[in-house]
Parts: sequence; C-alpha cells; structure tokens
Amino acid sequence: MSERRFEGTGVTPLSGVGTVRWYDQSVELPDPPAPESVDTDAERDRFEDARAEARDQLQAERERAAEAVGESEAEILDAHVQFLEDPQIVSGVEDAIDGGLPAEHAVEEGFADAIETLAAAGGKMAERTDDLRDIRDRLFRILSDTETVDLADVPEGTVVLAEMVTPSDTAKLDPERVAGFATAKGGRTSHAAIFARSIGIPAVVGVGESLFEIEDGAEVVVDGIEGIVILDPDEETRERASGGRDVEIRTEPVATEDGTEIEVAANLGTLAELDGAAAQGADGIGLFRSEFLFLDRESPPEEDEQFETYVEALDAFPDGRVVVRTLDVGGDKPIPYLEQPEEDNPFLGVRGIRRSLSFDDELFRTQLRALLRAAGVGEGTLSVMFPLVSTVEEVESALATVEEVSDVLDDEDVTHGRPELGVMIETPAAVLMGPELAECLDFFSIGTNDLTQYVMAADRENDDVADLHDPRHPAVLRAIDRSVQAAHAGDAWIGMCGEMAGNPEVTELLVGLGLDELSMSAVTIPDVKANVEATDDETARRVAQRALAATTKSEVIETLSDTQ
Amino acid sequence: MNEVHDSIPQMIQRTVTVVPEEGLHARPASAFVEAANEYEADLQVGPHEEDPVDARSMLGVTSLGAKGGDELVIYADGEDAEAALDALEDVLSTPEDEFDDE
Repeated sequence: MSERRFEGTGVTPLSGVGTVRWYDQSVELPDPPAPESVDTDAERDRFEDARAEARDQLQAERERAAEAVGESEAEILDAHVQFLEDPQIVSGVEDAIDGGLPAEHAVEEGFADAIETLAAAGGKMAERTDDLRDIRDRLFRILSDTETVDLADVPEGTVVLAEMVTPSDTAKLDPERVAGFATAKGGRTSHAAIFARSIGIPAVVGVGESLFEIEDGAEVVVDGIEGIVILDPDEETRERASGGRDVEIRTEPVATEDGTEIEVAANLGTLAELDGAAAQGADGIGLFRSEFLFLDRESPPEEDEQFETYVEALDAFPDGRVVVRTLDVGGDKPIPYLEQPEEDNPFLGVRGIRRSLSFDDELFRTQLRALLRAAGVGEGTLSVMFPLVSTVEEVESALATVEEVSDVLDDEDVTHGRPELGVMIETPAAVLMGPELAECLDFFSIGTNDLTQYVMAADRENDDVADLHDPRHPAVLRAIDRSVQAAHAGDAWIGMCGEMAGNPEVTELLVGLGLDELSMSAVTIPDVKANVEATDDETARRVAQRALAATTKSEVIETLSDTQ
Repeated sequence: MNEVHDSIPQMIQRTVTVVPEEGLHARPASAFVEAANEYEADLQVGPHEEDPVDARSMLGVTSLGAKGGDELVIYADGEDAEAALDALEDVLSTPEDEFDDE
C-alpha cells in the first residue's frame, strides 16, 4: 500500500505515529414518531433532565479547562451555560414538545430558530452561533445516550482525528497516550493548536474535508513540522516519525565549549504555555506574541488584564528575560473589534507597528501603559519589541510614545519601570538601516519567517514558492549577518525568534553568525541547548563564513552537512 | 389620583437610553441578563411600541440589535420591580469600557 498525504498546517514541531480514533461529536436523529404517540409530559421531563446533565458536564469541563488551558478559555464555556439557561430558547423547545415532537427533535427545532435569530442579529453575535450548535449537539448526545470517545481514556499510541476540538476537549488530551491529533478545521491560532504546543503533542490543523477519508483504525503519521498527515506510512516514514527524542533537559543557561553564552528562550502566545516552556528548560521568553491576548474575543483586553498577564510571565522567569512583541496584526489576522480596511495585499499593507502608529494608537498606548507598569513590578527583565519596522521614523515615533506614556504614569504616580526597547528585523529596509536603528535601541530580534518572505519575495503560504521561502538562501543569511554586525556595532544584543532558530541542524551556523539569543517553540529547546553546548566557536565561525560566501542554497546546505 | 398600595405588585415601566457605544451585545448584554436574573419580578425589554423580549434571554436581548443612543423600554412586574428597574437601568447606562473583564 502506498502512502497518502493530507496537507494542513503544522502547529507543533513534532511528529508522531499511531492508530486513528475518530472523535465524532455529531449525532444523527431518527425520523420523528407520529405526534399523537408522543407523551408530552415525559418528553418535557427528558428535556429538563438533559439540561441538568449538560449543566453538570459544562461545570466540570469549565473547571478542567480553567486549570489546564486558562481562565479566558474557560469563559467560553460560561457562554454555553448562559444559552442553556436562556428562557427564550427553553420555551421554544418546550413549545415544540407541546406541538408533538420528542425531546431531541424539539431541541433541533428550538435551536434552529435560535441560531437563525442570532445569525440575523449579525456582526459579532453571529459568530456565537457555533456556541449554540455545540450546546444543541451536547443535548442530542445526552438525549440519545450516545457514547463518545473519552479523550482522557484512549489507548497509548492513539492519533485523534476530529472535525474540530473545543477547549474542553483539548484539556483532556494526555500526551502520554495521544501520539498526535489532526483536525479538519482550525488554524495556528485555534485553541487546539495553542494547547498542542503547550503540552507538546504532534498536531496538524486545517486539513480540510479530505481528512474524513481516513478511517478509524488506520495507521497514520502526524507530522507537525511539515504540516502533513500521512496515511499508511511506509517503514521509513514511520521510523522517522517515531524517532525517539532522548535529549536531556537543561534548565540552566548554556554556553559553547569556549564559554560563549547563548540565551535559549521560548516563543509563546498564552500564559498556559509558560509551564511547558519552563519544563523544557527555557531561559526566558524570546517572543511573547501579545496578539493572542486580543484574538477570539469581542473587545480588547483592558490595561489591568494585560498588566497582570505580563507580570505573570515576568515572575515565571525571575532570572530571565521576557520579550513582549506589541500587537502585531494585519489584514490576514482579522479581529472583530478593530477597524481593518480591505487590502489587496495585506502582507504589504497596514500591519505591525504601522497599525500601532495609526489605527490602533489608543490600543498601543494602553498596551504600553500595561507593559511599563509590568516592568516596574515583575521579577524578570522586560523587553518590548516593535514588529514590522521599516523606517527610523517609525522607531522614533514609537519611542516618543513610550516617553509620553511614561510621563503620564509619572504624573499619576503609578509604579512603572523602563523596559528594554527593540525591534523585529523582518524587512529588508530594517536590515539596511540596521546601524541607525541599533543607535537608538537596546536589541534586535530577527523574525526569519517574514524576513525570508520579504527578502526572497516569496509568499510563506504559497507552496509553489516554498523552495524560495527558505532561510538557507545566501541572500537571507547575508541579511542576518548584516543585522548582527549592525547590532553589535551599536551595542545592542541580537536574537532570532523565527522558525530557523528552533531548527537544531543550524544551531552551529547561528552561533557562528554571532546571534546572542535563540527563541523557539518550547519543544525544540532541549535539542538546541544540547547543540549549543557541543559547539566549538572557531568551527562555528568557519561554517558561517563558508555559508555567507556560498553562491546558492545548495552550497549552503552542502556546507551545513559537511560539518555534521 | 388613585391610591397605590405598596404591597400590591403592579406593572411599571421605564424608558432608558443605551449608553454603550457598540450597543447591547456581548458583555453589556451578558451583564444585562445577569442583572435580570438577580430579581424575582417578571422583566421585559424592547423598543417603544414593539413587542418586548424576556430580559433574562441572552438570545432575545441580543436580537433587539439596540445600538448606543437607542431608547429602550423596560417593563417590570413583581415585588422587587422598582429595584430591578434601577439595576437594569444602571447596566444600560454603563459605558462599555467600564464592564469588568472578569
């Protein structure tokens, strides 16, 4: 049997192999019986009992989600309870029972009306119709006594496949038993993706309808690095996927054989991932994607909520550094409460710092207030980083805003501190203006995903140019080199927080290029730390020199494999 | 003027302007429903001269589509009607950015 590949989005840089167990939440209803045969009182009681059971389930799941994923995820389940108790919906279902329907069909009818009403309200509320469908399906399952797969109790080596998974579902996944999961829907920022990253389960999301072609009991590989699910993998694929990772976890900072210290930090977006980062031995947070605080909600987080979040992150790394990237959104990451103009080319439009200095001035100031306050209170060192910078003027405006916010806090007598200030190096313009930028900043962090996209003019989402979108092209390496030189000449430190930083195969090259810090998904930290310790400075410099002198990507790859 | 006896519950109503700029949705709607659930009185809400909805229904309250600046009439019937009206008026008069983000 030959392999079949299903493409999706990889969300953890891990792969696993196992046996498929479908997690199917849908329930099919039989045809309703004749109305005169329905015992209205009995059906009303069944509906009442089902609601009580649903309420108990939600309560239990809420507690589990709050513990495992965080309070904000758990609040999603509160909305479910509110709809479950909604008198208009309840009376709609009861009317349908009185009209001669059994409870499950009455639920279908009552919720269909409710979904229609909510959808008609339009806007942000229309998005809540998914909540209504979830509750409806939960009531169906209770009423029909349907056994669903208990995610907490699957055999070891199970790969869970599902249309989508909810926060309460993901909270049950046990990394000891689950070899991986894949979903038809969802993206990198879905709850499932965030959770998979935090507990280190191989995961691929957004595979699409084709995922349903894979049957229960099939053997699959979930490759979170390439973002593919492989059905009926051959021996070689299987072995590669299950290749044991037997790397010691180093919780202390590491240095090369010659004593050059390299900070190895974690990229994350939510506090739920903090424990996972510390467990893998992160020295700090090299990229805190603050946009996660702003996604999946109906209004922006308030200053205090942000403040508390940043302080919690700082307190988790008392001897380390937490680099918070200010809100980084653009046309490709829609947020319901933000003004977002239609753009033909959102990757070249108003995003990152451009938004913060225009549309989102208020949000930016609120975020800076929260950050400055956190810098004065939290234990670790706070560093604030501005995304997608392309001019010195942008940095000057951002720094001036920081000063203004600081002055206001002074006037208000509010405790605050001065964080380190830096920028992401993502645009060729920032690389070329590196010396001037380093003059006014404390640090740089190279975002290799976007830097590669903009240097190579190759869309990171377009598979047909995937060969161009590769940071091992000499043009990208030279941009990195130039940024390192500029940073060090201007007394700034320089890190890397793109995916390249977490690739253990290029650790030596990156050390040789002179990077001071590498930040990555927590799961690859042990490998990278091990490689840093095994690095000899002189050899690393030679590898870097040869790679920088290469004419083609294949020469670079050859240089890298020569030294392994 | 008729003499009104305190202990006899009767239907009262009050017209209130919606203050949250974005209208009665999401957090303000949720707060409204939660407030309504604190009282015994029968509570309804709706625009002038239109059929009101149950003030305890998230679905109903949301489907009104009330925007900031709109006027809504709240109807209350029960022992604690007056207190309930005060509480609901309070919610509708709170600017959106003052809702607790618990």
